[in-house]
Amino acid sequence: MNNNIKAELKKIVTPDRFRDDPETLASYSYDGFNVRATPEIVLFPVTTDEISQTMKIANHEKIPVTVRGAGTNLSGGSVPHQKGIVLCLTKMNKILEIKTRDRYAIVQPGVVNGDLQQALAKDNFFFPPDPSSFTVSTIGGNIAENAGGPRCLKYGVTVDYVMGLEVVLASGKIIRLGSRNVKDVTGYRPSGIFCGSEGTLGIITEATVRVAPIPETKQTAMITFADLDHSAQTVADVIGSGILPAAAELMDNAVINVVEDAMQLGLPRDAEGIILVDVDGVEEAVEKELNKIVEIARANHATDIQIARTKEESDALWTARRAVYGIQNRLSPDIIVEDATVPVSRIPEMIRGCKKIAARHDIKFCIVGHAGDGNLHPTISTDIRNKEEMKRVEAACIEIFKLAHELGGCLTGEHGVGLAKAPYLSLVMSPDTMEFLSTIKASLDPNNILNPGKFA
Amino acid sequence: MNKMDAKEAYDCGRCGLCLLTCPVYQNKIEESFSPRAKVQLSKYYAENNLPGSPHLKDIMSQCLMCGTCTANCPSGVGHEPLFMRMRASMAEDFGEKWIMKVLYHFLTHDEQLKLAAKFAKFGRNVVLEKLLKDFRVGTIPVKQMPNMNAQPFRDQMPEINEPQGSCKGIVLYFAGCATNYAYEDVGKAVVQVLTRMGYRVEIPGDQVCCGLPMFIHGAMEKARNNILKNISILNREDVEAVIVDCATCGSALRNEYSHVLRELGLDTQDAQSLALKVQDVSEFLYDRIELLVPLLKSDNNIEKVTYHNPCHLRNAQGVKNKVEALLTRIPGVDFVPAIDADSCCGGGGTFFYDHPEVSKKIVDKKIFNAKKTGASLWATGCPGCQVNLSGNLEETDQIRVIHPMQIVSKALAD
Repeated sequence: MNNNIKAELKKIVTPDRFRDDPETLASYSYDGFNVRATPEIVLFPVTTDEISQTMKIANHEKIPVTVRGAGTNLSGGSVPHQKGIVLCLTKMNKILEIKTRDRYAIVQPGVVNGDLQQALAKDNFFFPPDPSSFTVSTIGGNIAENAGGPRCLKYGVTVDYVMGLEVVLASGKIIRLGSRNVKDVTGYRPSGIFCGSEGTLGIITEATVRVAPIPETKQTAMITFADLDHSAQTVADVIGSGILPAAAELMDNAVINVVEDAMQLGLPRDAEGIILVDVDGVEEAVEKELNKIVEIARANHATDIQIARTKEESDALWTARRAVYGIQNRLSPDIIVEDATVPVSRIPEMIRGCKKIAARHDIKFCIVGHAGDGNLHPTISTDIRNKEEMKRVEAACIEIFKLAHELGGCLTGEHGVGLAKAPYLSLVMSPDTMEFLSTIKASLDPNNILNPGKFA
Repeated sequence: MNKMDAKEAYDCGRCGLCLLTCPVYQNKIEESFSPRAKVQLSKYYAENNLPGSPHLKDIMSQCLMCGTCTANCPSGVGHEPLFMRMRASMAEDFGEKWIMKVLYHFLTHDEQLKLAAKFAKFGRNVVLEKLLKDFRVGTIPVKQMPNMNAQPFRDQMPEINEPQGSCKGIVLYFAGCATNYAYEDVGKAVVQVLTRMGYRVEIPGDQVCCGLPMFIHGAMEKARNNILKNISILNREDVEAVIVDCATCGSALRNEYSHVLRELGLDTQDAQSLALKVQDVSEFLYDRIELLVPLLKSDNNIEKVTYHNPCHLRNAQGVKNKVEALLTRIPGVDFVPAIDADSCCGGGGTFFYDHPEVSKKIVDKKIFNAKKTGASLWATGCPGCQVNLSGNLEETDQIRVIHPMQIVSKALAD
């Protein structure tokens, strides 16, 4: 990038929010995935106009632009793979409007999910998408990655909560789609195009999101099994019975032990599987559903069923669940978390299959996941410096993807394609389908400057 | 080519959950200032993929060393030893500020420190007050800096203070620099309460500065003699506990001595056995609450008290909820928790001096929330936090920062 361009960009965002020192560049070279790339400059715009002006220059000069929030994603979506500009939106962090009577909130993209939750909680409302990173990740990032989390089982993922967007296109043009209305079919649904586009189609500069009232009551149950298969079957049976828990998470023995090592919560170390179930709603319904879940668990040979007595107990279990990704890092220098997803009735088959694959390739493997919606995290402990082992890891991953596909599942349930899954799209998509994605991309970003190297 | 070891950095999975817990990141909202970035930058530096620079040194200095990231890190990254090593390496490459050199010199030469304190007393109590009253040290107006003791606390007190009544045990009292040179009232309260509870309180005369202000900035080699000397004096089998009234000294004696000695390639066995004996004075009292309660007067004047939990107590020593529980047991104390009692005050040793802009924002938020409780007393067992919190209060603020031991000693029956 030549100095004239740098000078122009510096003028747009002011010198205060322009960085090209090696330390800042290195700080924006990574996210939660294990590939790095160093940008040439990092900008912290604070207005839509600054972003628009920046894009006009980038588009004219064909400079790659990677948009980023907190950089917590696990697929390399925010890694500036082809260098160029990182647009970091963390300073666009104002909540512009909350109107719970009309059930919406309008936010800038850098608002942290957890901060929005806190602001909404004052009115007894919440924003349902809850990625495990919600205490730090931004709404802009959540939308771009179409993030999901434990309670998306009942409430749906981010795309289900996006009502309106302001987007800066690659050309620098600013468009507004959608509105404050739950029902709005005026034109293409903005969420359908931009939600999950991973920064490849446009830059979200403002979002109108749907919010929901906090349910009257919530109960958390922890159910223990001596056989992982029984725990998987329980989840499938609970969902199959017509009950819709807020969340149903599964951990295998390896995960239970590493969590217990780190957090000493008193989890049963000898259990082969535990499931953590949240049921929410009106008190009577919660009670009834919980009883039914207990019944199903007993029929599936549960060895122990504990109901969290206090909010603190329940919070401790969920804090542990959210920290699993970080905790697993204690096991080995690197971990690879897959998020292949299958229809919930196929979960027992999927888990059995994954275990066989791991054994065949002799890799260290454990399983945790949002079992209730079929979104599993087969997790591989490895050391990416060990080339021989990495070959086996990659072979195992491909088999896991293929298995998921055979069972009617998908490659990635919530982490996104990014750098992680881009090479494998053809396993699950026909050439015509992939061409369709490319056509959309080319029409919106003909110079391929928005987050190039990622899926489309 | 540097040969720094960044082994802790390989435990980091870059999940980013530390962004929430870091007071500096929360103010800057720029990745470079997050614990995650400091870990990654240290790794790149150690791998010789990122050269050292004054800017890198500055980034590494923009850390309160509060340990909140470590306490909440799911991957168990050891930030502190890594950052200390990094700071040491940066200081080696790009020099240390003259003021730090002066500080290190005095902290390693106890006799000169005493002399300096005398001058400082004259300087602080006479010169500063008269001539420099409108000046600031970092964020703190000079007139709000603590007064110096007329005589060092340890010179005022006998080395052995006998208990009242039958002797329940012996404790050693490590009265750090703050108590020794500025907060004599805290020291007196500690001795009074412990002797009333039946403990023989020994204050070893030849104890020296704990060394933390040095090694926290990377000057580990300079701190070596202080550490070894304190261990040799305090590591005694016949005592029930080594009592510390300062969260920072406590974290040094209890936590950091082993880390630093290991970094220096020295044996850590004695440091580890000392660590088992070290207790913060409030924690020691709470664990023996049944000895304390009968000594307290029932008609103590009622005051609203809130609490600031020092990072060096909460994160470094793992003392949680005990001081709050102790305060609620004191007659007359109407305890009202502040919503952010557990977050860093922004003082961070010399952070308030080095980075006043960030520090001020952090401390102002703390003050806002403490005042919201309506308390008239703000208890905290860390002189660093005390200087920072009280130094940043407005003259019109109706809240006063105080050591928990002063609240307890005031509640003792005659």
